[in-house]
Amino acid sequence: MSIRVRLGALVVALTAAVTLPACSGGEPPLADGAGPKTTLTVLAGSELKDVEPMLADLRHDTGVKLDVTYTGTLDGADRISRRQAGTDLAWFSSDRYLRLLPGGADAAVTSTSIMRSPVVLGVRQSVARKLGWSGNPNVTWKDVAAAARAGKLRYGMTNPASSNSGFSALVGVAAALAGTADALTSADIRPAELTDFFSGQRLTAGSSGYLNDAYVDRQDSLDAMINYESVLLSLNASNRLREPLELIFPKDGIITADYPLLLLDPARRDAYRRVVDWLRSPATQQRLQEQTSRRPATPTVPLDTRFTAGDTHVELPFPGTAAVADELILAYLNHFRAPTHAIFVLDLSGSMEGDRISDLRSALIGLTGADSSLTARFTSFRAREKITLVPFDSGVNRISDFAVTDPSPDSPELKELRRAVEGFNAGGDTAIYSALRAAYDRAAADLARDGSYYTSVVLLTDGENTTGASADDFLAHYRSLSPAARAVPTFTVLFGDADPDALRQIADVTGGTVFDAGSTSLPDVFKDIRGYQ
Amino acid sequence: MNGARRAVGLVLAAVLLAGVVVAVVVSRAGSGAGDGGRDLTVLRGIAGSEKKPFFDDPAVVEAFREAGYRVEVDYAGSRDIVAQVNKDPKAYDFAFPSGAPQGDQIAQDTRGRSYVPFFSPMAIGTFRKLADLLVANKLAKKISDSYYQLDMAKYLDLVEQNRRWSQLDGNTVFPTDKSVLITSTDLRTSNSAAMYLALLSYVANKNDIVADQTTAATIAGQLKPAFTKQGYTESSTEGPFEDYLRGGMGARPMVMIYEAQFLAAQAAKTTASGMVLMYPTPTAYSKHTLVGLSAGGQALGELLTGNATLLKLAARHGFRTDDRSYASAFARENGIPEPPELVDVVDPPTYELMEKMITDIAGRAGS
Repeated sequence: MSIRVRLGALVVALTAAVTLPACSGGEPPLADGAGPKTTLTVLAGSELKDVEPMLADLRHDTGVKLDVTYTGTLDGADRISRRQAGTDLAWFSSDRYLRLLPGGADAAVTSTSIMRSPVVLGVRQSVARKLGWSGNPNVTWKDVAAAARAGKLRYGMTNPASSNSGFSALVGVAAALAGTADALTSADIRPAELTDFFSGQRLTAGSSGYLNDAYVDRQDSLDAMINYESVLLSLNASNRLREPLELIFPKDGIITADYPLLLLDPARRDAYRRVVDWLRSPATQQRLQEQTSRRPATPTVPLDTRFTAGDTHVELPFPGTAAVADELILAYLNHFRAPTHAIFVLDLSGSMEGDRISDLRSALIGLTGADSSLTARFTSFRAREKITLVPFDSGVNRISDFAVTDPSPDSPELKELRRAVEGFNAGGDTAIYSALRAAYDRAAADLARDGSYYTSVVLLTDGENTTGASADDFLAHYRSLSPAARAVPTFTVLFGDADPDALRQIADVTGGTVFDAGSTSLPDVFKDIRGYQ
Repeated sequence: MNGARRAVGLVLAAVLLAGVVVAVVVSRAGSGAGDGGRDLTVLRGIAGSEKKPFFDDPAVVEAFREAGYRVEVDYAGSRDIVAQVNKDPKAYDFAFPSGAPQGDQIAQDTRGRSYVPFFSPMAIGTFRKLADLLVANKLAKKISDSYYQLDMAKYLDLVEQNRRWSQLDGNTVFPTDKSVLITSTDLRTSNSAAMYLALLSYVANKNDIVADQTTAATIAGQLKPAFTKQGYTESSTEGPFEDYLRGGMGARPMVMIYEAQFLAAQAAKTTASGMVLMYPTPTAYSKHTLVGLSAGGQALGELLTGNATLLKLAARHGFRTDDRSYASAFARENGIPEPPELVDVVDPPTYELMEKMITDIAGRAGS
């Protein structure tokens, strides 16, 4: 016993001796053999946040500090292809879409795959058994489409226009349902089968991380989730699920993300090399496998037992042109997926006067097709979409509805929407909760009439609640609503002097999330939110 | 006990050695390019990325040092190398693309001398089960236990007929509806895809090298499906080869690579037991062509073609050299079945005609 204590003390002393010099300086020292100290800026996909805990060791071993900024896959691809990433490197789950864009094929000087994770279907164990899919290697995407159409499979999947996992799933499912042997062309797209398939989608998200959390919140009303194998494995290991997800690798094929690290600035080649060599070293590959549940990219590191061997997993071909990919995304948004109902609860109180209200106007008008950027093409209002504006100040002024049949910017309905937004004027107090209650009443009434719409609320405010219903009034009312109405998430936008805690509470209770318009421009925030609507 | 003591001794030796290495590195760094009093000539080059493991090999670095050189290399796609050298011929001492057409073009543009220290035949990474299935369907031949040959004329027929794996006779091993299709890289950026096009163009042109613009246009039209049916293609040969090694038969049933990649992977024990190499018949050689752009660059060309140590090291990275004994020795030492002599090898069309076919099929880079 005493020996053990003394040993323990020795270890503490040694550790102290080893770590002491680290504390004395500003930054921790580098390892022997590390290269010259430098910093590389990186534009990365949010799904790579789980690698962040390893970056201190990267810096220690190689001398290279990574300074990471996160954004969505499509926005990243757009910026890189226009040479406007503004960073030395880029790191997303895939660079396939980027390489299809004009100027995208040669935007990166070089690219190296760091790890791999296929996009697969995770099905609740009991549901998998009921469908006869448990342990069955012959399940196809066609089977999944049939189960969805029969109402036997309700699943979550990210928005293909904003997240790579949803995009990979869309492309893979379209190829599999087409039954063609080769890369998809426009003629192969099968609208009826795809509409069947997406009739089962009951949850969407702008990122795979949010999808994961939202699935946990709603696990009792969902049967499955399409996501990266790594996300599904980590979730199964997390104790957050009442029932584990069985991973299904459809027999007709999957699409695998390969997480390429792209070098954008040729002058940073040396530091890039050091980073790549470190990331692909056997030790780091092993660590990535253990800590992020992704498969190693280098063939020298063996797969651990959580991963099924890949011999039987057919990799589906990916389209060879941007035209086919874009056509698929637009058809998904306008035709295949469930129709959407977007309710905007908008603060027009006195404090919005000036720049704030004009920001709000341009953000909303941007969604009517006035913005011609690549990201705007997929974030503007869609065919079959209902838009409800709930402007408020001291009370709810006037609720107006717009039903989009034609999503082109010059359609009468979008022109009318623009006119309504241009007519916004600021003045009066701030009745946040009264307005929110009115929005949920509208959602409840509409869903009772037609439950097929995917409904969500956006709440934008620049201040605190000053009049009308209180937070508690709203919460009590919310809890009294039908389950369908309670499933409607509210995405809150932190703007101006809004109260972060109040907005966080609303988002948490309703299953939404908070967007910060302090660090991002309001039009960009609205585009991000479109990924969740 | 004895073992433990020896282990301690070894560790101590390693620590001492590391100290010496650090001391040497520090002293060298301190005296600039000095090397124990002797100055190293720094040569800068631009080369295809598949040669990075060769230039990074400490034994190669040492062989260069002994000859008085330190070699610094930037890596780029072979077509990109042509463009960069054309833009600024003085930026580098040597260019080292992986194909003869690009090397010849650079030599012509710069009047530099060219050397071919090593080369590698184009080959198809596949799986024994699939190769045997192709043999049973009379599309391929077995050369030996580990090496096969694919009849490219018959393969082109398959592509034209949209034949699927599930339609091959007696297929119980890979019953998928995917096309029988070789995965290549992006024609716009990668030399291995260009070499694949070169050998296909020979077959499509009734066993003749494409030699004029009109024929090039016709042949490009004919060969387009072999590339467009693949859909998205990756930018460099490392990508699909890693997918093959890592993802297995489902991911990449047949992948067009350099023989050197496969041999090096075998030596590194990263191939699985069912993986075999199948040579297209005819095949083409990727001739790694060094063009000297300065006196130093030329000297490096002479060194690489004449220095036995460096040639032996090239063989260690899977490359073939004019003297076959290096490759044989490498195969023997690593327990790899010796790669076969290849007789049916065709030369690629000129750079200009290759460019035309590539643009016809895949458009311009950056488009």
